[in-house]
Amino acid sequence: MQPITLALAKGRPAKSTIELLEKTGEHFIDLHEDSRKLVFYNKDKSIKVIFVKALDVPTYVEKGAADIGIVGKDNIMESQADVYELLDLKIGKCKFSVAGKPDHPIKNNQKLTIATKYPNVAKKHFLKKGQPIETVKLNGSVELAPIIGLSDYIVDIVETGSTLKENGLVVLEDIEKISTRLIVNKASFATKAAEVQQFINQLKLAME
Amino acid sequence: MQRYVMDNNKNTNVQDFQIRDDLISTLKNRFTTYGYKQVRTSTFESYDMYSNLIGTVNKDEMIKVIDTSGKVLVLRPDVTIPLNRMTTLNGLNTDNQRLFYVLDVFRQSPEQMDQKESTQAGVECFGDHSAETDSEIIMMAIHTLKDIGFRNFKLEIGHAGFFKELIQQTKLTEQELDALQSLIQSKNLAEMGPFLTQLDIEEDVRTAIQSIPMMYGNPEHVIEQAKSIIRNDSMEAILQNLIEINELLKAYGAENSVLFNLGLINNMNYYSGVIFQGFVDSIGKPVVMGGRYDNLGEQFDHSIPAIGFAFEVDLLIHAMQQQGLTNTQPLTADIIIRYPKEKQTDALRSAYFLRDHGYQVLTYSVEKTEEVNVEGKNIADFSVSHNTLYKQNMKETFSKPEELLSLLKKEEK
Repeated sequence: MQPITLALAKGRPAKSTIELLEKTGEHFIDLHEDSRKLVFYNKDKSIKVIFVKALDVPTYVEKGAADIGIVGKDNIMESQADVYELLDLKIGKCKFSVAGKPDHPIKNNQKLTIATKYPNVAKKHFLKKGQPIETVKLNGSVELAPIIGLSDYIVDIVETGSTLKENGLVVLEDIEKISTRLIVNKASFATKAAEVQQFINQLKLAME
Repeated sequence: MQRYVMDNNKNTNVQDFQIRDDLISTLKNRFTTYGYKQVRTSTFESYDMYSNLIGTVNKDEMIKVIDTSGKVLVLRPDVTIPLNRMTTLNGLNTDNQRLFYVLDVFRQSPEQMDQKESTQAGVECFGDHSAETDSEIIMMAIHTLKDIGFRNFKLEIGHAGFFKELIQQTKLTEQELDALQSLIQSKNLAEMGPFLTQLDIEEDVRTAIQSIPMMYGNPEHVIEQAKSIIRNDSMEAILQNLIEINELLKAYGAENSVLFNLGLINNMNYYSGVIFQGFVDSIGKPVVMGGRYDNLGEQFDHSIPAIGFAFEVDLLIHAMQQQGLTNTQPLTADIIIRYPKEKQTDALRSAYFLRDHGYQVLTYSVEKTEEVNVEGKNIADFSVSHNTLYKQNMKETFSKPEELLSLLKKEEK
């Protein structure tokens, strides 16, 4: 058997993913969400876990630096990586939405400015609607943009909506539902078929 | 001063070129053993020809140039299409034309601004559409991957017609079809189910489409699965074609290198028959892609059956470097000749004589060069009294070029 590399997203989604991994019966030494370590192995070293920034998980998997990745649909959509998306792990559920000030319904036929951490997702959504937009790429506190007039609207992930509410914004339009997915490198799926398939089956069992 | 760091073509030093050149000769040798002859196509192609061909190269990806008459040209964005046009227009004896090429292709995309050129090494076989030709082409790709030395590689085989047949039984809009294709290409079953339910499709067809992405793996196994979704004679014929190809590949002893993947959809829309792509360890993109395209010629008034594939040379080099499959020879000359002014004539004659016999020779005049920085396997020192050849721990004297040659030869044993 060849060893496989599994890329996980650092930060918020790590906890539920680690819980799921533990349920598969594979024990990873020292693996917990607060650890500063970035590389972990299971007992027989057949699985290597690496922790990377969430948006980089699809890139690691697409380029073959990792065979399998566990990451939110939001990051898969934004990175536009060419990978297999084999399982919906049904955790980390939230949605992509367009949000803005409550008295500000989305106008058509006028170029809009959208602030977002996900410019590709925003462009694709408005392209589908035939709406010209300009995106402003931000790396955090996106909710601030419409308040101080940096943009007309924002495109962001919405979990409970409380951050929006506290900043006086409302959801105007939903784009797509999001949850954590299992992605696989297309070459690994062919060249390490047995190992990859075994891991997926373990994970499927753990989800039940 | 402006700094120009546009070293886009990554492999530009001497060693890198050697690796590339060795790889290309490996590829050429293998293609030749299957009876293929090398050709080239023009670097400039007509923009109109490409823009009129549906489902081939994305117009935005082509690099355009305008000639003095105002005609728009593109830098060769692919090789298959010009070769096909050449063959159909020339009306050559198209029975079993076997051609191969090693050429640069030019494309641009916003994601990869610094990678506008790449080298493709490919083959095209015109004039025959039997399962024997299909499997021979696939075997040639496998054979080549073995030659390069990849230990773990797999060829995924699918069929362009299988999915097209199923789609013909539905009335999907172009957008729906695009969305469905990308769901199948990413084997995204989780989203495919809900997506298909909201479309107006017959129940049987829906189940068939839903099962396509997972028709993957062991050929016999996939063939069994596929039998359950056969809906008409043409699908039956396609399956029969795949069964034959599988049997032939087994005859070649290639069963461990192939997988079937009926969810394989190539973005080049002209494929009409068997399609395949090859993967090696740790490289996410296929290093080789190909398939049968019998109808492409129709767009040039005259269609001939054709099948081919192309290796991405740059990707192969990347994979070889990653897996330690490149061995470079040290950059040393066979012999270095050092001489003083008085012996110039003798030394240069010896150099000419040795070069004539195929030795790599570097000459230095002792007065002008204080120190020689190049390493040589042998050193011949000319001096007024006598000439000496140094090799490893040996030291021999000689006077004539013929003697030097025989000394060099003797030591090689």
